[in-house]
Amino acid sequence: METTAHTKLPVTVLTGFLGSGKTTLLNRILTENHGLRIAVIENEFGEVGIDHELVINADEEFFEMNNGCICCTVRGDLIRIIGSLMKRRDQFDHILIETTGLADPGPVIQTFFVDDEMKDKLALNAIVSLVDAKHILQHLDSCEEAVKQIAFADSILLNKTDLVTPAELDALEARIKAINGVAKIQRCQNAAIPVADVLDIGGFNLDRAIGIDPRFLDPEYPFEWGGILNVPAGTLTLEATQDPDPSMTAVLIPAATADEAALTTAREQAVRAFSHDPAPAPIGTALTADASPHDLILTDAPMRWTCEIETPGPLAIFTQHYPEELAMRFLDSHGNELHPTIAASYKPDHTHDETVTSVGIEADGECNEKKLNTWLFKLLQERGTDIYRMKGVFAIKGHQNRFIFQGVHMLLDPADGGPWGDKPRRNSLVFIGRDLDRDQLNASFRACLA
Amino acid sequence: MPAKPPLHTEEEAEAFLQECSAAGLLPCIHTAQLQDYILDLRWSPDGTQLAALPSTGPPQLFPRSTAFQPVPESGHPACATWQVPPAPVLPANEPPKPDPSATAHKPSQLPPHIPANGTLAWSPGGHHLATFGQDSILRIHPITTPGPARTLQLPRGWAERFAWNADGTRIAVAIAKKIHIIDTATLEIESVIDALGATISDVTWHPTLPNQLATASNGGTRIWRLGDPKPIAELDQGVAALHISWSPDGRWVVTGDHTPSVHLFDTKSRKPLHIQGFETKVKSFAWQTAGAKDHPWLAVGGGTLITLWPCFGRNGPRNARPIQLPGHARPVTALDFTPQDQLLASGAADGFVLLWLPHHSPGPAMIAREDHEITSIRWAPDGHHLAYGTANGKIAIHQLLTESTP
Repeated sequence: METTAHTKLPVTVLTGFLGSGKTTLLNRILTENHGLRIAVIENEFGEVGIDHELVINADEEFFEMNNGCICCTVRGDLIRIIGSLMKRRDQFDHILIETTGLADPGPVIQTFFVDDEMKDKLALNAIVSLVDAKHILQHLDSCEEAVKQIAFADSILLNKTDLVTPAELDALEARIKAINGVAKIQRCQNAAIPVADVLDIGGFNLDRAIGIDPRFLDPEYPFEWGGILNVPAGTLTLEATQDPDPSMTAVLIPAATADEAALTTAREQAVRAFSHDPAPAPIGTALTADASPHDLILTDAPMRWTCEIETPGPLAIFTQHYPEELAMRFLDSHGNELHPTIAASYKPDHTHDETVTSVGIEADGECNEKKLNTWLFKLLQERGTDIYRMKGVFAIKGHQNRFIFQGVHMLLDPADGGPWGDKPRRNSLVFIGRDLDRDQLNASFRACLA
Repeated sequence: MPAKPPLHTEEEAEAFLQECSAAGLLPCIHTAQLQDYILDLRWSPDGTQLAALPSTGPPQLFPRSTAFQPVPESGHPACATWQVPPAPVLPANEPPKPDPSATAHKPSQLPPHIPANGTLAWSPGGHHLATFGQDSILRIHPITTPGPARTLQLPRGWAERFAWNADGTRIAVAIAKKIHIIDTATLEIESVIDALGATISDVTWHPTLPNQLATASNGGTRIWRLGDPKPIAELDQGVAALHISWSPDGRWVVTGDHTPSVHLFDTKSRKPLHIQGFETKVKSFAWQTAGAKDHPWLAVGGGTLITLWPCFGRNGPRNARPIQLPGHARPVTALDFTPQDQLLASGAADGFVLLWLPHHSPGPAMIAREDHEITSIRWAPDGHHLAYGTANGKIAIHQLLTESTP
C-alpha cells in the first residue's frame, strides 16, 4: 500500500499580518531556483502555473466540526483543493499555504488535525509567521489575530529589521518570546530568508521546540532591560517622550565595573529591589542611585528625571520595560547622550500584560499513564478554547519509548516518539495560549508523576 | 457454470461468490496504464465505450469490443495488457482531430485540461462525451458522429464538477459559489445560480425532471428549479456537504459530509434524515434498483464497512436495520451495482476489488488486488463488464463469465 509516513507531503503554512512581507517572500519562493516544485495556495480564486510552481487561489471557507470541540473550525476550501492536488501529488515536493493578513491560523492548522485524509497524506511541516518589525507592536496591542499569528508559529521571521534600531529589535523579540517562547526567530530584511529555512523547518520537532531557546525555561525577571553606563559626575538626566504605559519602574545601582560580571551582580540586587513597592516619581523627581525602586509616572508631555552623581563611574540601570519603548535617553550634565557599555534583555514576568503567553514545564521522573490521560482530557475539555498550541514529550512508566504529542485547541495528536537513546527520561511540555496559569499547569502536571 | 444472479438461496449465492473467487468467474480481460490517478470511469449508455479520466493528461476513450488487443500476461492467461501510447501534447483549446482508427482498434485520446482534469460525463443518449477541468473549459466531444469538439470557456474559479441533465439539454457546472447552466444546443450560458455564498462541492440533476438539480455545499443540501432564483428546498444541515447523489426514483437526495455523516432528504415527505457513525468521510454511493425502480437500496461507503439502507416504504431508512458488509481493510472508495441485478462491486484504499451479493451473503468474492487505492469502479450497462481504476493510473476490465458468455 502506498500511504506510509515516508510518503507524506510536507505542508508549510505562511502567516503574517498585513504588510509583513508575505507577498515579497512568496514572490521569492516562486521565482528563486531552489529546485523544489511547490504548490502555493493563496487567497483568491484561480489557478496559475509559474514555471515549476503552481499557484492556486483559494477562497477561505470555514467548516465547523460537529465533533464536540466548540472551537473546532476547519478550512473547507483547503480540504477540497489539497484533496484534488493529492491526486496529482507526484508533481509536487511541497505545499505552501498563505493565509490572509487578518487570518486566525487556527482553522488552517486544525484542518490538518481533523481531516482524516489530510492527516493520512500530509505532514504539517511548520507554521511560519512573518512579522513587520516596524509596525507589529501597534497591531499586537489592538488585534487578536496578530497575536495569534505569533502564538501559533513554529518559526517567526522578523522582517524589515532595517527600519528599527537594534535595541528596538531586542525589545520586540522579547515581546514575541513572551507570547511564544518556543518559536525559532530569524531576523531579515525584504523577507530575504533562504527558501530552505522557510520550508524545511522539520515538522514537529520537540527537541527543537524545547531546546531551541535556552531562555524559554529560564527564570523570569521583574524587568526587561538592564545596562551599565559610565557616568560622569554631575546630573544624569533620564529623558523620555513616549508613554506606552501609565508608569515604569526603574532601579539605579552603582556598579564596580562595566562588564558582564558586574551586570550579573547588579541584576541580583535589582531583583531584590523590584520586590519592594516603588516610590512614585512624577516628572522632575530627583532619583537616587541606591538600588531603590522608582515608579516613573509617564505622561504624554516630555518627561525628564534627574539623578545627582557624586562619584563618576559605572552605574547599572534596570527598567521594567525597554527604554526604547519610551524613547528614553540618558544624558550627562552637558546634554551628551550616554550609551550603555553593556546591556542585556531579560525574560519578563509581566509580559506587557500579555494575555497570550507560553508556559514551559520540565520535570524529571515518569508519568502515570492513567493520570496523564485524565489530566490532558480534562485540561483540553476545560481550557481547549484558550490553548492555541501545545507540544510535549513524556516518559511514561512501563513504556520504553518516548510519548510525544502536539495539539491545537481541543485537538490532540499523540504519537510514539521512538526510543530515548542516551537522553534522560524527562518530561517536557509547552503550552501557548490565553490566560494560562503557569503555577496551576505546573502543579496539575506534576500530580501526574508516578 | 453457475447461474448468473439473481439467485434464490444463500447456498446459491455462496457458491457463486466462491466460484468467482476460486475459479475466476470474473477474470481480468484487459488492462491499461494511464499516466495519473484515475478520477473517474464512465461507460457509454450503450456500453460500447469506456471513458477514463486521469487527474492529468488526456482523457481516454476505449471502445470496449475492439480496442483492446489482448496480450496474455505470464501467470494469468485470462488477463491482457494494453499499452497506452504516449500522450500527444495538445494546446488546451485545440479540438481533437478525428481519429479514424478510434472506432477500430485504438483508444481515442481527448485533449487534457490544464493544469488538471475534473469530471467527465456522457450525454444521456451517448452521442456526446463532455469533459471539464480546472481550466474552467467545458468540452463536448461528438462520439457517434465525426467532428471537432465544441468548447466553452467559463469564468475562472475552483472548478471540478458538472452534470448533464436527464434529457441532455443542459449541463450544470459548479464553479466556486455559482452554478452555470449551459444550454447544450448553443453551448451558451443560459443562467447562473448564486449558491448563497457557499462553494459548491458537487452537483447532480433530478433523474427524470430536466429542470431540477441539487447541490452539495457548505451548510448542506439545496435543491433548485431552473428559473427560480432561490432554492426550492434548503437543508441547513450545519455541515459541509461534499458529495451528492439523487436516487433513481427521484425521491431521495443523499449527501456525504465532512463530519463524517450522511444526510438523506425525502423529497416526497420533505423530511430529512441524518445518519452518523461512519469511520471516515463517505466518498461513494451506489443505488441498487434491480427488480423495481421504486424500491432502491442505497449502498454507502464510509470507513471499511459498506452499509446498505432500504430507501423505500413510507419511512425509508428511518428505523430500518441496514445491511452491513465488512470486508475491506481500509476505507471504501468506490461502489457500483450492476444495473440488472444485485451484484455490488466495491473498491477501497486497501487496493482490493470485492464482489458482493448483499441480500444473500455477508461475505464477498475477491476479484482483484492492486498495489494502489481503487479510485473508481463501474459496471457496464450489460452487467457483465466491470471496470476499475487505481490511484496510479491503472485501468482494468473484468468480464463476468456466465452461462450466457460465448
